[in-house]
Amino acid sequence: MKVAMLGWEFPPFISGGLGTHCYELTKELKDKCEILFFMPRTKGKVKASHVKIIQVPGGFTGPYLKEFKGVITNEFFSKVKNYNECVVETALNYDFDLIHCHDWMTILGGIKLKEKTKKPLVFTVHSTEWDRTAGHPWQFIVDIENLGLHMADKVITVSRWMKNQLIKRYGVEPSKIKVIYNGISASKFRTSVKKLNNKVVLFLGRLSVQKGVDYFIRAAKKVLELEPDTVFLVGGKGPELKNLIKLSIELGISDKVRFLGYVPDEDLPKLYALSDVYVMPSVAEPFGITALEAVASGTPLIVSRAAGASELLKHCLKVDFWDVDEIANKIIGVLRYNGLAENLKRNGLCECKKISWSEVADKTFDVYSSLIRNP
Amino acid sequence: MAKICLYFQVHQPERLAKYNVFRRDHKYFDDEKNKKIFLKVAKKCYLETNELILRLIKETNGAFKVSYSMTGVFIDQAQRYCPKVIESFKKLMDTGCVDLLSETYYHSLAFLVGDKEFEEQVKLHKKKIKEIFDYEPVVFRNTEAMYNNKLACAVEKMGFKGVVAEGWHKYLGWRSPNFIYKPVNSNIRLLLRNYRLSDDIGFRFSLRDWSEFPLTADKYALWLSKAEGTNVNIFIDYETFGEHQWRETGIFEFLKHLPKEVLRYPHLNFVKINELANEEPVGVIDVPDMLSWADVDRDASAWLGNEMQTNAFNMLKELASLVYALGDQQLIDIWRRLQTSDHFYYMCTKWFADGDVHKYFNAYDSPYDAYINYMNVLQDLKQLINERIKKTSS
Repeated sequence: MKVAMLGWEFPPFISGGLGTHCYELTKELKDKCEILFFMPRTKGKVKASHVKIIQVPGGFTGPYLKEFKGVITNEFFSKVKNYNECVVETALNYDFDLIHCHDWMTILGGIKLKEKTKKPLVFTVHSTEWDRTAGHPWQFIVDIENLGLHMADKVITVSRWMKNQLIKRYGVEPSKIKVIYNGISASKFRTSVKKLNNKVVLFLGRLSVQKGVDYFIRAAKKVLELEPDTVFLVGGKGPELKNLIKLSIELGISDKVRFLGYVPDEDLPKLYALSDVYVMPSVAEPFGITALEAVASGTPLIVSRAAGASELLKHCLKVDFWDVDEIANKIIGVLRYNGLAENLKRNGLCECKKISWSEVADKTFDVYSSLIRNP
Repeated sequence: MAKICLYFQVHQPERLAKYNVFRRDHKYFDDEKNKKIFLKVAKKCYLETNELILRLIKETNGAFKVSYSMTGVFIDQAQRYCPKVIESFKKLMDTGCVDLLSETYYHSLAFLVGDKEFEEQVKLHKKKIKEIFDYEPVVFRNTEAMYNNKLACAVEKMGFKGVVAEGWHKYLGWRSPNFIYKPVNSNIRLLLRNYRLSDDIGFRFSLRDWSEFPLTADKYALWLSKAEGTNVNIFIDYETFGEHQWRETGIFEFLKHLPKEVLRYPHLNFVKINELANEEPVGVIDVPDMLSWADVDRDASAWLGNEMQTNAFNMLKELASLVYALGDQQLIDIWRRLQTSDHFYYMCTKWFADGDVHKYFNAYDSPYDAYINYMNVLQDLKQLINERIKKTSS
């Protein structure tokens, strides 16, 4: 079986989870089928031993690190348009049995290819425009997603929560959607560091409304009432930074909350290892790969029930993002009781071993097979 | 001649309130939830099953006999939320075909807390049973059938003639549970649960992929008739009827037909558990370690198997001297209610092997939530006790 996979980014040129997903997925699929991975041109050439990478010639180059931060500029959109046109032209020179697209940036090319080749189309939705914009979407992007979801023969998404979004907002036929949770390369996150004298509570992610960072700060205030020697780390950048700093000052805890700014990937394992508990208070989160990363690092996790990862993980503490008292209650529980932290850590590590990319690849391959058998 | 002994365990835990670390109102139990659950189970199980058993006793002219063990916390809740349940048990007692076992009042881990505490809770239970049913049990069952040689000694000293334990092959070896034994170090009668035949009703009754599904009364009676030994002890949770096994599974039909199917065999008859306590033992069983009837491990690990459980239990135990010293009956009672084994069961993390059983009974999202909540309550109680002690000493 030959699959034309239309991607947007690939390591080392990545801006988010999409690139990692494509890398791990293609790596694990290599023994099952042949993947032609199409992506935009980048400044340096992308190399991978396990997959054939085809960087389509077009009018622009990456990397995209600064380009896509939730704010869609005309320039960005014209690049997307350009890529989708060029990728069709390039891909038509190759032979394949199936087309697989990731998110809206690649779906228009996928639809064109399906029309021209009559091959089945798989569309993986990692997030929708609604999630990225806290409910204030660009209509033309929603339209593109909508078209893709209806043209696709099968839709893959990363959580049940996300599946419900697609049914509710886009009217997708439920039986067409397959939920495949993300995986984790757990071994990347095993590291040890010297702990600080203070207890450390970590948040990591884009500082946007949908990540629920303000609930984290409010919970910090409550925790500090009972556990004053605790430090709260906020890693990441985003539009809410100013408001969050202001909030921490208003609550009188600015000396206990530290904003770290952007954290490079290579520092993540250390940061998780340094922390006594990781909190993901998301208001809306299609999956939330950092939840898995924290658990794989042996750091106890408190995760919002609104995050897709909470459907997958058992050995963590789950909260409603708006329930600040409960978030604080659970943070204090983990900080105070070694027995609890140890059990979460040990059982979480065990659980993580079973959440592998090879399973993601197996399930993705099942989707391919079902379409090739019954197109 | 084989004696069939049916003993039903009757228990409802008192579930804790959602008590976060910021609360200081000392209202530890969720009365509303407990009431709701109690009324639900009373309707689905207790009232209906009692009525059926009463009818069966009458229909068989007293040939059908059963035994019950009711925990103190069950009786308390029945009195509080649904006194009808007590009345219907009294009616059963009036037939003379029903007897009762003794246990710790709080369905607790008191045996592991200390000798004094254990004895005290058994006495409290005894007093309650005497008061309500005017009955004095002669057979003892420790919480979840937790048993070892030491327990046998302790309860023999307290005057009991028989004690319940799991008929687990690890300790029986080639021997059958269907005989009366005695412990190595005392003369009390050891009444062993036949776990295969018990679990056929308790766990497997509605399992569709079980090779014996569906289980009918005549099939079960046939198995009983073929069982070796002098007595077959079927010990199960009373909530099996209508609650663990829903009405739709046919569990009530099964029970309805069981007596007459069993009595069809001339060599089978029903006995109350105290009748077994007069039999002569055929051999000696040595149980140096803790044995119980819980899950696949049959030890204490369902309650004290991980660090959270042992940590919570040790803290509970450490409060003993303070609680005794203070002597406040209300606080002693609360402290004892926190010894109920269910609180620890909810913290069990043995999910992967036999998780379903735990999951079904868990009042919390996860064992971690159970632990945090329990510790918040316990810390609050500890603080309360310390405050009271300070007050009285100043």
